[in-house]
Amino acid sequence: MTLSSALVCAFVYWLMRYLDNTTGWDAMARPIVVAPVVGLVLGDFKTGIIMGASLEAIFMGISAIGGAIPADALSGTVIAVAYAIGAGSEGAMETGLALAMSIGTLMSSISSMFTPLWAGLAPWWEKEAAECNPVKFSALNWIMEGVRGLPQTVVIFLGVAYGVSGLQTFLNVCPGWVMTGLHAAGSMMTAVGFGILLSMIWSKEIAVFYFVGFILSKSLGLSSLGIAVIGACVAITIFFVEKHALEYGQRQKEGASEADVKENNDEEEFF
Amino acid sequence: MKKINELQAEEKSVLTKMFWNSHKVFHNFNMTKMEANGFTMTMSPAIESIYKDDPEAKKEAYVRHQAFFNTHAVAMNYIAGMAYALEKDYYAGKIPESTINAVKASLMGPTAGMFDSLFFNCLRVIAAGVGIGLCASGNIIGSILFILIYGVTQSVCKYYLTVLGYTSGTEFIDKVYNSGLMSIATRCVSILGLLMVGAMTATTVSFPLNWTINVGDTSVVFQDLLDAVYPGIMSVVLVLLMMYLIKKGKRPSFLVFCILLLGLIGAFLGIF
Repeated sequence: MTLSSALVCAFVYWLMRYLDNTTGWDAMARPIVVAPVVGLVLGDFKTGIIMGASLEAIFMGISAIGGAIPADALSGTVIAVAYAIGAGSEGAMETGLALAMSIGTLMSSISSMFTPLWAGLAPWWEKEAAECNPVKFSALNWIMEGVRGLPQTVVIFLGVAYGVSGLQTFLNVCPGWVMTGLHAAGSMMTAVGFGILLSMIWSKEIAVFYFVGFILSKSLGLSSLGIAVIGACVAITIFFVEKHALEYGQRQKEGASEADVKENNDEEEFF
Repeated sequence: MKKINELQAEEKSVLTKMFWNSHKVFHNFNMTKMEANGFTMTMSPAIESIYKDDPEAKKEAYVRHQAFFNTHAVAMNYIAGMAYALEKDYYAGKIPESTINAVKASLMGPTAGMFDSLFFNCLRVIAAGVGIGLCASGNIIGSILFILIYGVTQSVCKYYLTVLGYTSGTEFIDKVYNSGLMSIATRCVSILGLLMVGAMTATTVSFPLNWTINVGDTSVVFQDLLDAVYPGIMSVVLVLLMMYLIKKGKRPSFLVFCILLLGLIGAFLGIF
């Protein structure tokens, strides 16, 4: 594919990813929306629209094609449509999808290399939030979100323009343990987030329930909704037990003073 | 339950601003805190409104809402609305601080599952059904309808859920507060919160050991040994270790760096 179509792919990918993360809809990253955009930029709007329909069906598992489909619908669509419009031949879209597969795999390797980097920014975000300047915080978010999409965008550009093999060689220069290490760090990073959250809600008396939740999910394989329902039942029961205990304690106190008053009254009546 | 028009002007304006900000839910999503930045920006109008006279408390509030958060984009609005109500009552001294994040933690998991099924698996399929037919004949209306049905609907739901979260939050808290059972209620909420964080530890935190010890002719897979003690035990150990270090005053940036180092050194030594 040509350099210009590589640029188009990279740009549309970056744009739709940014748009989707800014609306939070997931709709803007779907083939049925992305493909027409690619078509529009490349000057063949109608083909883009029609391909959007086919690709959406494929990525939803409705219609199957020979061979596997890329995991990432956004990059897959961008590359497949650009390739197909460029090639203009029958069945070009399927070839484009196959091409998107190899680029997609590369993209996810590069992505997992960057995951610990973005995760490592979390303390910086906390510091920025604490500065109590919402305008600045918001602006930083707008900018950094654009930056966050760059690694994959660059991979798409290079992969489309120069082919996958060059990039693969570059990745192979990196020792295997670095990739594995970064991958491992990425999956352990959530522990830090949870540690911070736990420190905010931990209490010795009820600490045991943390382990109960863990076991319910790990060993019994319950869904989070199921665990939440069980948890709500337990919490409600404990609520009523403690409520009754509180009321009993109050009654005991009042009962004691009532008994005193009653005794005095009896004595008076007696006399 | 309070209706929308019964809310005061200030509350309405805050909720509307929260609604607009909430679209940025995925801005700077990262593996440590996930949607925390989006949640902070959603809460920002509420925090600015409640704590306008108290900069110290405002700062604490911002840090409080930088806590780990992850759920469906639309569900976040309900939880954020409720958090607004909770922050108001915390400032009024009705509830302890830990309740706010406990409520968030309890609601995160179940709402994620519910809304994922509703929007991703159900509404999206409907929208695609409508759109694909039209787009296949080259009509751009298909894509536009897809955006309207799948996307704009989410935004409409987000607005009403923000208000609902706020009104149901205030009503519930007022009821409990007036009954004098607030301390019992907050403890129960914390129970639920801890339960859910435990469940999330099981699903999100992984300790990807890949270590086989060779002794003579036999080989021992270390992960199997750990699994024999308890499956996934290292996830719990890791999270509790992090919590312990945080309580001891270690800064999060230090911990993130340690995890990174642990990952790299571990991979170099071949245990990952």
